[in-house]
Amino acid sequence: MNTLGMDPRQLLLRAAGPDDLDAFERIAAASATGITTLPADRSVLLGKLQRAAQAFASQDDSSGEEIYLFVLEDLSRTDARGRPRVVGTSGIAASAGFADRFYSYRNEMVVHASAPLNASNRIHTLHLCHDLTGYTLLTSFFIEPEYADSLAPQLLSRARLLFIKQFEERFSDRIAAESPGLSDDSGRCPFWDAVGRRFFDMDYPQVERLTGGRNKAFIAALMPHSALYVPLLPEEAQWAIGQLHPVGELPFSILLDEGFDSETYVDIFDGGPTVEGRVAMLKSVAASRLVTLVTLDGAPASAPVQAGTGWQLLAATRRAGFRAVLRQAHPEATARAQTHGAQLALDSDTCALLGCAPGAALRVAPLQGATA
Amino acid sequence: MKHLMTRNAGSGDLPAIQALLGRNLQLPTMAQEQLLVAQAEPAEGGAPRVLATLRLQPSIGMTQPRCWYHVGCTVHAAPELGLFHRQRTLLLGHDHTGASELCDIAWHADDVPLETQAAALRLLVASACLLVARDRAGYAQRLIVELPGLRDAAGQSPFWQGLGRHFYSGDPAAAALEHGPAWRGHVAALLPRQPLYAEFLPAAAQAVIGQVHPQSLVLREVLEAAGLRYGHHVNLEDAGPVLDADTDALFGLAAARSWHWVAGPPAPGSPTMLLMRHQADGWRALCAAATVQGQHLLASEATAAGLGLAQDDEVWALPAA
Repeated sequence: MNTLGMDPRQLLLRAAGPDDLDAFERIAAASATGITTLPADRSVLLGKLQRAAQAFASQDDSSGEEIYLFVLEDLSRTDARGRPRVVGTSGIAASAGFADRFYSYRNEMVVHASAPLNASNRIHTLHLCHDLTGYTLLTSFFIEPEYADSLAPQLLSRARLLFIKQFEERFSDRIAAESPGLSDDSGRCPFWDAVGRRFFDMDYPQVERLTGGRNKAFIAALMPHSALYVPLLPEEAQWAIGQLHPVGELPFSILLDEGFDSETYVDIFDGGPTVEGRVAMLKSVAASRLVTLVTLDGAPASAPVQAGTGWQLLAATRRAGFRAVLRQAHPEATARAQTHGAQLALDSDTCALLGCAPGAALRVAPLQGATA
Repeated sequence: MKHLMTRNAGSGDLPAIQALLGRNLQLPTMAQEQLLVAQAEPAEGGAPRVLATLRLQPSIGMTQPRCWYHVGCTVHAAPELGLFHRQRTLLLGHDHTGASELCDIAWHADDVPLETQAAALRLLVASACLLVARDRAGYAQRLIVELPGLRDAAGQSPFWQGLGRHFYSGDPAAAALEHGPAWRGHVAALLPRQPLYAEFLPAAAQAVIGQVHPQSLVLREVLEAAGLRYGHHVNLEDAGPVLDADTDALFGLAAARSWHWVAGPPAPGSPTMLLMRHQADGWRALCAAATVQGQHLLASEATAAGLGLAQDDEVWALPAA
C-alpha cells in the first residue's frame, strides 16, 4: 500500500475535454512554474481542451497539429459538482513545432589542442538546432502534491505511452519532453539572463508567454545562430545548463526510468533538460501487449491489495473516450492467461470503469519501477 | 635632433633594435624582407642614434599561419516584437594570409619629442613604401599593420581576460616570450572557431575591440596619413586593430620612380621629397627639397652627401607627405 493509504484502483486516467475546463484552470493557477503549455488563461485553456476533444474524436488522418490532453481522477473524492476529483493532468503534442520549427540547444563537445603550447581543452558548446522538430512531445504534466508519492504520477505519465503505441500512426516514432529549468519565484532565470535576455530585452516569464508553442519565427530571427561557447557564460548560467527546476523532478525521473535520454538537448530559454528517445525503446511500450478482455466471474472487485504483487497498466484501445487504470495481476487471471493465451480476465466493475465489454482489446503493460 | 634619415639595419644595429623591441631578432635573409631603422644625430653632436625601427615583410602567414578576428555585424530583427539588434561578431580567420606587413615597429618615446617620434615613423613608413614601389612585384596587393590594443595599468588586456583566458590558461606574456610572434598562431588553435557574439563578452572586453594603446596613437596617425585604415580585423590577444590598405593606393606609391641625380640648387618652392639611394651594401633615405627635370633630379650637394650620391647616380623618390 502506498504512503497515502490510497487505493491505486481508485485512480482513473481518461481523455480530457471542455468539461474539464474548471479543473484545468485550477491546475494552471496552481502551477505558476513549470507548465508552459497550460497558461492560466481560461480562453486559451478552453481552446486547448476543444482541440484535444477534436483530436480524440477525429476520424481524419493525423496532421501533426493534434494535441491530446488527459486528466487523472481520484474516484474516492468528489469535486464541487459531485464529480470525481481531477488530481492531475498530462498531454501529448503529436508533432513538436508542427508545421514550423522546434528549437533546442544541442550539447556538443569539441576538443581544442595546441601541441606547441602543450594544451588540450574539452570545450562545451551549445548549438541551436531543429533536431526535435516533428518529434512527438509529452506535455502538460501536473500532479497534486499530495499524490506525488503514490502510483498516481506513474499512471498519469506512462498511460500516455500506451496511447501513443496504440495509435502509433498518429505519432512520430521519436518522442521528447521538456522539463522546466532553474528559475526562482520571481521569475529570475540564470540561463535566460546570460543568453536570451541579450537578444530579447524581456524577462523570462514574458518570453515564455510569447512562445508557448516554441515555434515562433522570431526565435530564429533573434537568437544567435552560431554555437554558444559555454566557458564564456557566467558560472551561474553554466551550472544551470541541463539542471531541473525542483517541480520537474518527479515527471523527469519517470521518463528517465522509461529510457529517455537526457544528455543531448536543453531548452533554449531556461537551459532545462529536454529528454528524447525512440518510442519503441521505451520500457512501457516495449513491454506492452494487446489482450482480449474476458470477465472474471465471481472475483470481488474490492479484493485486498496484494503486497509485493506487481501493478499493471491497463488501457482501453478506443481513441475517443480513452481510459486507463492500474490493477494488480490477479493470480487467477495470470493462470488463465497462461492457458488461454492473450486474454485478460477482469472483474466486471473494472470492465465498466474502462468502458469495455468482454471481447474488447486492451493494451496492458507492467508498471515499471513501482510495486505496491 | 637633426639629420633624420632611414637606412637598412646592419648587424651593428641589432643591440639598439633589440633594446627597442625588448626581444632578440636577426637580420633579414630574404631579398624583399627589410629591416629599417630611422636615425638622427643629437643636436649637441656625436654619433647618430637609432630612434625607431620597422620591418617590412613581403608575405605573411605562408609557413606559420597567422590569425585575426574579423569583427563582423549581424542584425537580429523581430518587427512583431519591436526588437532590432545590431550585434558585433568575432570570427577567427586567416584573412590577411599572403599580405605584406609592416611589423616590429618600435621607437623611443620616453626622451624624444612627440613630433620627432612622428617624423621618424613617417620617414620609416614612407621608406617602406618606396622599397615596395621599387620592387612592386616582390610585394602583395595588400599591406597590413597590427597595432597594440588597450591594456590596463598592469599590462593586462581586458579582451584577453574576457575571452582568450577561458581557452588558454597559460600566461600570454610567458608564451609570447617562449614562442615569439608565432605564439598567436598556436593559441588560435585553442580559441573558438565559430562566430562569437561580442555581446557574450564582459563589457570591458567589448569596449577595447579595435582600440589602440595610447602610446601607439602617434603610429596610427602616421599610418592613416599614409592611406592605411582599420579594416575590421583585430588581433586575438588584445583586440588591437589591424590597419590595411590596397598596396597600390598607398600614399605616394603611384608617384614613386627613379631619376638620376644632378647637383644644383632645387628650384624655389620645390616640394620636399623622400629620396633613396641604393648601393650594393644597402640603401639610405632622407627627405629634402628636390626638383624633377626630365630624367634628372636636382638636389643640393648637402643632400647628395647625406645619401652618398655621385653625379648621375640613380635615386628613387616619392613626394613626402
